[in-house]
Parts: sequence; C-alpha cells; structure tokens
Amino acid sequence: MTYSYIKPRKKSVITPEMVLAFTFFGITLFMLVCTYLFLAYKDYSFVKDTNIIQTERVLLEENLKKMKTEISFIEKQKQFSQSIYTNNSVLKDSISNLFDLVPQRIILSEANLLENGLILYGITPSKDVYSFMLQAPLRSIFHRTYSSFYPAKNGWLRFVSTNYSDKEESIDEN
Amino acid sequence: MKTNLSRQHIYLLVVSVILLMFVLVFSFAVLIPEGKEYRIKRVELKKELKELKRYQNFNDETYEVLKNLQSENRHIITAFDTIFNIERFEKQHKSFFTSLNISKVEPVAKEEGFAVYEVNTSSQISTPTTFYSFLDAVNKSDWIIDINFPINFKREGELIKSSFTMKVYYNSPDSNATASESVAK
Repeated sequence: MTYSYIKPRKKSVITPEMVLAFTFFGITLFMLVCTYLFLAYKDYSFVKDTNIIQTERVLLEENLKKMKTEISFIEKQKQFSQSIYTNNSVLKDSISNLFDLVPQRIILSEANLLENGLILYGITPSKDVYSFMLQAPLRSIFHRTYSSFYPAKNGWLRFVSTNYSDKEESIDEN
Repeated sequence: MKTNLSRQHIYLLVVSVILLMFVLVFSFAVLIPEGKEYRIKRVELKKELKELKRYQNFNDETYEVLKNLQSENRHIITAFDTIFNIERFEKQHKSFFTSLNISKVEPVAKEEGFAVYEVNTSSQISTPTTFYSFLDAVNKSDWIIDINFPINFKREGELIKSSFTMKVYYNSPDSNATASESVAK
C-alpha cells in the first residue's frame, strides 16, 4: 500500500547549498594558503638575494681594498722615483755649476764631490787669482773653506781646496 | 518562540564559524607577521641593492683611477720590477763614456720599503757634458737609479776619469706581492 504519488528521495547532509558554501570556503582557504606561500617564497627569495648581494659586496670590498693598496703602492713608487730623478737632476746642475765656477785661468786636476762637501785639486797662476776667482764663490756656497798651496814646477801653485757645508745649518735654512 | 533551523543550516553555521575562526587565527598568527616580514625584507633588499650600487660605482671609479695611474706610470712600475743587469746597463749607457766599468752588484739594506743594490762605477769621459747627458739618460733608463756621493773626477791626460756609486732600487719581494697582483674586475 502506497500513500505517496512520488518515490521518496534519499536525503543527504550535503545539499547543493552546502556544496556551494564549501566551494566558497575552499576557494577562501586556497587563497589564504596561496598568499601565505607567496609571502614565504618572497621572504626566502629576498633572504637569498640579500645574501648574494652581501657576498658580492664583500668581494667588492676586498677588490677595493686591493686596488687601494695598489694605488698607494704606485703613488709611493711614483713619489720615490720622482725624488730620485730630482736628485739626479740636482746633481747634474750642481756638477755643471761647479765646472762653470772654475775660471779659465785655474786648471782643475781633480774634483771630489762629497755629500756635504767638495774637495778640489788644481793649479793656479797665483794665490790672488785663486782667492778672487775661486775661493770667493766657494765661500759663498760652503760654510767652511780651507785651502793649501804647494809650488808647481812651472812656477804656478798647486792647490787643495776643501769645502764643507754644515748639515744641521742647511737643514735649518730649509 | 520556536526557531525552525534545519540540520543543514546548523552544519552550515558551524562550518562558517569554524572557517571564520580559522581565517582570523591564520591571518593574525601567520599572514600578518609574514606580511610584515615581507615588507621589512623588501626594504632591506632595496637598501642592500642601493649600497651595492654605491660600492660598484666606487669600485669602478677606483678601478679607473688605478688604470690611469698604471698607464701614466708604466715606466716607473716596470723599472721597479726590473732586476739590475750589468751587461744591459753597459750596452745602454756605454755611448756616454770612453770606457765604463761596473763592479759587482751588492745588495744593501732596504730603503723606504724598497730593496737596494749598490753598484760602483768607474768610467772615462771626454767632457763633463757627456756626464750630464748620462745623468739625463739614467732618469729614463730601465731601472730606478740614484747616482750617489762621493763622485770623483780626475784628469787623466785628455780624458776625465770619473768614479761614483749608483743605488738601484727595486720592489722587495714582500712588497712586490701586493703591487704586481693584477686586479681582476
């Protein structure tokens, strides 16, 4: 005996409304998780990039340090070589001036250039010629000048002129 | 008053509340701190990038300075790296002298961080002018040479015998290590 015209449907807890709601919840959860994963990945990639940059910076720093050392070394070499070149040029001028200083009437046989002095050996026709033409300019250059004379065979005089500069005074003057 | 709530509605309400709780907890406990960290790290990365750029620029500028310095002082750098060679020196400077004798090369103490060789030289020149030319040539030679006192000139007939000491400077091995290293870019 039947009391209904339709066949009874099987009732379920998961209705279409529930499926719709779960789909919505599922999408929400998925988006949340995706956002989290995105942020986590970005954090990881930022940390990785920061580490790479820091390593690169350390390398640059080392390279920079090396270059600075090399620059200062080249500058030191340059400065040192310039001082040597200047010394040589000054020496050239000093020798040139020395030979220009000797008058034609006096003949030099030997010149000994010392660090703080000059010893000259030569022949002069007379003491006066030596005194006026060589000793006077030497006195103006050096602090101490000593001269000694010996007679030469031809009636001229052999002389030894020893001249010194006092180092301390010349430093003070500078 | 009687409320007419079906079982499905109750399930839906419970699940909705659970979801809301989960969303709130997840957001406040995980997402917001993670977002904050993200912002901090992004700023930090930008700062690091800016710093790196600054370093790179400074590095490039320094490299440029170094290259210019190297090209401007090529002769000096090479001269400091060249070990003194008597035969080569004689070959290069013999033209200034009638005769030229160079004694053994003796290493002496370091000066200003550079190793020094001392070389005694005796020579014969025809006029002092050739000695001046020699001094000019020494400044352009393959070595860093300092003509040192005492210098002696002695007349020998038509010629002038000259004897003097030369100091040859070169990079000492320890300083050379840093100097000769080429900077890789």
